[in-house]
Amino acid sequence: MLAEIAMPALSSTMKEGRLVEWLVSEGDAVSAGDPLATIESDKADMELESFEDGVLAKILVQEGEMAAVGRPIALTAESEAEVAAVVAAFEAASSSEASSEGAAAPASAPASAPASPTPSSAPAASSAPAPPSVPFESIFMPALSSTMTEGKVVSWEVSPGDPIATGDPLLTVESDKADMEVEHLGVDGFLAAVIVEADGTAQVGVPLAVIAENEADIPALQAYAESLAGAPAPAAAAPAPSIPAPSPPPATPSSTSPSPPPGARTVGGRTVASPLARKLAEERGVDLSLVSGSGPAGRVTVSDVEAFKSASPASPAAASSPGSSHVPAAGVVAATPSARAAAKKAKLDLSSLPGTGEFGRVTLRDVQLATGEASKFPPPAAAAGRAPLPSGTVPYSGMQRAVASNMEATLSVPVFRVSRLVNMDRFEALYARLKLKGVSLSALLTKAVAVAAERHPIMNSAHDAAVGGIKYNADINVANAVALEGGLITPVSKNANLRSVEDLAAEWKELISKAKTNTLRPDEYNSGTIAITNLGMFGVSDFDAVLPVGMGTILALGGTMDAVVPDPGAVLGLRKTRQMKVTATCDHRPIYGSDTAVFLKTLAKIIEDECETVL
Amino acid sequence: MSPRLLPLLLLLPLISPFSLPSVLPALPLHSSSASSSASSSASSSALFAVDFDVAILGCGVGGHAAALHASSQGLSCAVFTAADVGGTCVNRGCVPSKALLAASGRVRDMQDADHLGMFGIKVEGGVTYEREKIAKHARDLANNVKGNLENSLKAKGVELIHGRGVLKGEGEVLDEASGRTYTAGSIILAPGSVPFVPPGVTVDEKTVYTSDGALNLDFVPEWVAIIGSGYIGLEFSDVYTALGSEVTFIEALPNLMPTFDREIAKQAERMLIRPRAIDSRLGVFASEVTPGIPGKKPCTVKMIDAKTKEHVETLEVDAVMVATGRVPNTNNMGLEDVGITTNRGFVPVNENMQVLTEEGGDVVPDVYCIGDANGKMMLAHAASAQGISAVENIVGRTHAVEHEAIPAACFTHPEIAMVGLTEEQAVERSGKEGWKLGKSQASFKANSKALAEGEGAGIAKVLFNEDTGKVVGVHIIGIHAADLIQECANAVACGTTVKELSMLVHTHPTLCEVLDEAFKGAVGMSAH
Repeated sequence: MLAEIAMPALSSTMKEGRLVEWLVSEGDAVSAGDPLATIESDKADMELESFEDGVLAKILVQEGEMAAVGRPIALTAESEAEVAAVVAAFEAASSSEASSEGAAAPASAPASAPASPTPSSAPAASSAPAPPSVPFESIFMPALSSTMTEGKVVSWEVSPGDPIATGDPLLTVESDKADMEVEHLGVDGFLAAVIVEADGTAQVGVPLAVIAENEADIPALQAYAESLAGAPAPAAAAPAPSIPAPSPPPATPSSTSPSPPPGARTVGGRTVASPLARKLAEERGVDLSLVSGSGPAGRVTVSDVEAFKSASPASPAAASSPGSSHVPAAGVVAATPSARAAAKKAKLDLSSLPGTGEFGRVTLRDVQLATGEASKFPPPAAAAGRAPLPSGTVPYSGMQRAVASNMEATLSVPVFRVSRLVNMDRFEALYARLKLKGVSLSALLTKAVAVAAERHPIMNSAHDAAVGGIKYNADINVANAVALEGGLITPVSKNANLRSVEDLAAEWKELISKAKTNTLRPDEYNSGTIAITNLGMFGVSDFDAVLPVGMGTILALGGTMDAVVPDPGAVLGLRKTRQMKVTATCDHRPIYGSDTAVFLKTLAKIIEDECETVL
Repeated sequence: MSPRLLPLLLLLPLISPFSLPSVLPALPLHSSSASSSASSSASSSALFAVDFDVAILGCGVGGHAAALHASSQGLSCAVFTAADVGGTCVNRGCVPSKALLAASGRVRDMQDADHLGMFGIKVEGGVTYEREKIAKHARDLANNVKGNLENSLKAKGVELIHGRGVLKGEGEVLDEASGRTYTAGSIILAPGSVPFVPPGVTVDEKTVYTSDGALNLDFVPEWVAIIGSGYIGLEFSDVYTALGSEVTFIEALPNLMPTFDREIAKQAERMLIRPRAIDSRLGVFASEVTPGIPGKKPCTVKMIDAKTKEHVETLEVDAVMVATGRVPNTNNMGLEDVGITTNRGFVPVNENMQVLTEEGGDVVPDVYCIGDANGKMMLAHAASAQGISAVENIVGRTHAVEHEAIPAACFTHPEIAMVGLTEEQAVERSGKEGWKLGKSQASFKANSKALAEGEGAGIAKVLFNEDTGKVVGVHIIGIHAADLIQECANAVACGTTVKELSMLVHTHPTLCEVLDEAFKGAVGMSAH
């Protein structure tokens, strides 16, 4: 009996549909309800199901082709024996109509078309993406509406390594109209790699992920996916793509007694590991699903397995909370649903975590504590296992001691502070240009301060207690404060007024690296005559600094911020500009307020108007 | 003696008992249908030697609706109520569960810092609740509704007999409490249902409980396993997760929410399951469930594969809720004695709610069965509709309830509501009957009111016959879906076409506009 499958009307407005993919082949037996094909309507991709039992006799509309609603897209026969008769009958009935027997290969079937296993002599992983010669499918950004040109991946419902079957939800895509869930319509397999992560957008038809038919092919496909995603392709670590990784039985915690079933903790979880790592894990009895991978796309490497083995106490007995005497029965995973999910995600071994829940059960909070994740809710008053806040006295390091005594010494210095806003528009433009030549912001500021100090030598002076007078310094040596781990130091750019910014920048780099390795010579940090301290990079608007003993001036630089200033020439009488606040702290014995005010005016002028020529 | 033996009985459904003699001649005479008959007053009942025109066995919402309607039709009526007035719905079902959902829904809302933050609202110091007071709210509500229900019966002159009614022979009902036998012209069976407990599951109603025990909210378990992922299980997962519990669904079928429209079930999974502290075991039976002792011993749940029957996993949880459906409460009510053979406890009925001797058998004269006990559609409002329908048939106006126009709702946050066929059923039926199925879908994301609420998740889909334009099914998941389904149910009941619906004006800006969009989409129009 001849039966035609017609292009269905999937929506009230649908006039024609595109055959995205055939889910069955000619000659396949189909039952009512079986998915036959994926059809793209004007609204969405939908599955066409068979209404009858029978055999798919002939495909009339190939993948990628359009067909008007109602037009036959395939023929079915009641039984295999009838296939030939059905096809003949149809061809006789429509002898003129070219069935697409010879119509070559479909142009391009974007959805889930299995890539032909190209026997590519896959070159080194770093070259252009060549699909590995293993069976796989790509998942493409679907067209969820007629107007959709690109979509955003809202979330992935499966993680790399997860097994996936036809009909399983794969991801949620946000189109121009709505969020829709995209189901897997291809072969059963494993999600090998995600190419477009959650929150990423992609054009319709762009590959989003790769599905491996065989678990062993995952590493090869991950490398491939990475090359597609534009991420640096893994070099040495990647195993040769065509060699299937041995799939050892999951590591079991020593046999004998009724130990938990190996699947219990890794429900559905599949781990991606290099073949060598797998082998090692097997040898050492490490459950790969618990090892966090440091390789490309989270792949577990040999060193990960080694590190895990040495770090993990691997005590399979579930931890009981002190208050409960209950011991979980054999095979019971004492963890709440969300704890299990979180532990799986963080690749934590639940049995190694202390459980604070009912009956010593591991809760979500226990897992979050282990991963260091901040909890959404305030911790319970007496949460066990919480990392304690530091308490008690820790003696100063040598540097900290020096800083402390220097600070105390400053208390006898009478200081005053003066602030001024400096327009940074031209200075920033200059910096943007010079940055390319390797000039740092601090070198530019150092030079600006040095040039300003050259014009106002009083600012470069200090109180001379021995003589009782102003001690002028012929050299302008600018000290820049640098925060170090557990301390503070002020490397000095000597004669900064006389040197080029390029020179200063190069020297500064050297000084910093010396500071970090504690190899500055005393001359390089205690010869300053005027100091700068800059907290602008932290978004600080302004602050004032403590004047180091032996200097007359320290300048505290705030961050450069957006500001709106009156400007009669501007359209609305206002202009957006960039400003930095400079606060000078000075010793009032040699230096007076007016000196500082005039100095700051000069500094502002240099930065605002003369920076290109002076610096 | 049953009135059906009196061939010349007059049907006077609209007369008040007190005006009988004077108005009798003026009334148009209804012709008597073969199986229905009624006398119209207490006095006439006495004349024919029956105590009541109608005896209703069971006082759930079905029995209640039947009693009110019988009374309004001038029939003398008695309701036998065994346990409590209001039955499952009022005491152990819809009503108290809505109280729990209302309270827990607020807790959920107030804990959703992101959502509140969108409104610029901040709840400092966390949200706390008192379990006892939530439980009391549910109890108080049930008692309140129960009281109202009882009063409404009394006000209508319905006799309330506080004993379980048992069929004793033709037209006779035994009150088990008093031992007295009453006679009635017609009998409506409305015994309702009780939770089904699968074999191997030990229920103590404390740590292992059905919906009966769950509604007491005796404690909020850290981890609760819910066996079954239908309406009841889903609603309780909503309550529990809002109150801070974690939930594991144990479902025998390969999908969660197997009775729902698949597309809706998938959306529900996205909105109600995956973002919450819920996981599931699919395709497994809970083969052995042992109660625990709070704080001392957990409940154990042994699970076996639904196909291979092999043990797959054991859970140790704080509580287990058994939500595996309900079975008719029809044991020991004398059905066998009057020649009725039940089907797994369900009382076989025809479309007029008349009881049959067996499935497809003969009508048992003057005995009707409504509500959960006949298994047609186990919903409170379906029982009410059937009760009213049964009374219509008793008074001689042949009536059949259109079950496909009865809406249903699941009161999760957000809600799920539906009427008519699922898409799967509609595809099957359209194929079988040879009509073209149309589908139009609208999204809450495109609805101003939903967006104002920050509740843009959800869809409404309208399934219709493209040839006739009639609506065959509507499925909604989204905020206030349960309140939105009514116009769709009316459309299905009245045979309103999508063309007509598309021209009806919907209030702006309301959630109803989601449906407006779907109706308009069905006829190729755009709502916006």
